[in-house]
Amino acid sequence: MVELSPSFELEYQPIDNDHRRLIGIVNQIVKALDDGRVEECAVLVPDFVNFAKKHFLREEAFLKKVGYPQLQKHYHHHRELNAKMDTMVRLAQTARDSEVARESLGKELVFFLMDDVINADLDFKSYLADKGLIEPR
Amino acid sequence: MMKGLHVHGVSHAFDGHPVLDNASLTIPAGELVCLLGPSGSGKSTLLRIAAGLERLQRGRITIDEQVVAEPGTHVPPEDRGIGLMFQDYALFPHLTIVDNVTFGLSRQPRHRARKRAMEMLEQVGMEGHAGKHPHMLSGGQQQRVALARALAPEPRLVLLDEPFSGLDTSMRAKIREDTLSVLKQSGIATLMVTHDPEEAMFMADRIKVLSHDGRILQAGRPADIYYQPVDEYVAMLFGHMNLIHGVVSEGAVDSPMGRIAVDGIDEGRAVKVLIRPEGFVLTNGVDGGVGTPVEVISTHLLGHSSIVRLRVREGKNMGAEFQVRVPGSFDAAEKGRLSARIDAHHAFVYPEG
Repeated sequence: MVELSPSFELEYQPIDNDHRRLIGIVNQIVKALDDGRVEECAVLVPDFVNFAKKHFLREEAFLKKVGYPQLQKHYHHHRELNAKMDTMVRLAQTARDSEVARESLGKELVFFLMDDVINADLDFKSYLADKGLIEPR
Repeated sequence: MMKGLHVHGVSHAFDGHPVLDNASLTIPAGELVCLLGPSGSGKSTLLRIAAGLERLQRGRITIDEQVVAEPGTHVPPEDRGIGLMFQDYALFPHLTIVDNVTFGLSRQPRHRARKRAMEMLEQVGMEGHAGKHPHMLSGGQQQRVALARALAPEPRLVLLDEPFSGLDTSMRAKIREDTLSVLKQSGIATLMVTHDPEEAMFMADRIKVLSHDGRILQAGRPADIYYQPVDEYVAMLFGHMNLIHGVVSEGAVDSPMGRIAVDGIDEGRAVKVLIRPEGFVLTNGVDGGVGTPVEVISTHLLGHSSIVRLRVREGKNMGAEFQVRVPGSFDAAEKGRLSARIDAHHAFVYPEG
């Protein structure tokens, strides 16, 4: 199971809470795959994608509000991630009939969330700290 | 706690010359990530920083949630819980094979260390060579011993730097298959550095492609890197590409073999189309060939596949040449009149400039 461990925390609660929610959904998907309840992925993966897209929009609005200078780069990154999520949906659709798709789906969701989403968001942690919005440990 | 490796925002320079630019990656326990890039892209530097062999200048590295490197913090390599494996095996020539594997277990009682070393040698199929010296073994056998030595202390992270590039082609495939199997059984996070895209495709759960200037250009599954390269550089990593220049018109670009759909690039924009040699479908006249008539200039049998050089026979693009890869051998005389078309899965369109 994945957790939002300290090295991945932004220490800005609204975004950390979104990340926790996404982690929660990924853990449900991985558990469903492990338990052989593959059909649940057809619902859970779209849930994940929908929440991730809303999270990206919330985050972009916040970064615009606080004047983050790398907003365009982060915005572009989010658009690339939207395209990657199409792959997840396709994997979920084929997971019932393919062991390779099931394994790939679980792995890719964890990488996508921890590496592409949360690790990338740490890029603006120091900016938020400089702005006095968080107090990093 | 997230077990594994977490690298964030690592930048590094040698004598003021930047070699890594804000590199980040995450490797959960049990997964293998490959850093793929040419010489000088900073991939080995990132591995050495993770190992503690190079002092980190900027960023942060955690292993199993322990911060091992950040400005002001440098946990020495021997205290990071890592296993290292290099291209040159780095076995001690004066020690026997079992003593080489036992060497990294000096904190354990001798009998326990020896038992563990023998277990690891057994796991890599080298228990029968325990009493030999390294010079008595082949390169592949030495690499198996190096893997046993890297894993014997039960590291939290395994770091592999071009581990198979010193091996013969005939042996490489077998050794990397065995290595992958042993690493997956161990459940340890693994970071591997390679310049060989095929090796990265075979080994990795996820590939990170580094540019010449040490930026991560793309991260994804091997299939994503191969079928959805983000730019020309990533596409070209896998070898020769056929190149067509054109202009976007009504959502597509003209090629000598028909129109190729373009997504997300403005109308009227000059583009280049890259097509992999395997991205062509050839049909002969007998099959009622669909596509553009072509003639064969030359064929080159490579073993599992052949390279066929084609030229467009008719129309306004007459004379345009393409390099095509087909499975097995290819007898042009037997095929007769040929037509070719492009498989869109292997064609990539990027803006010029």
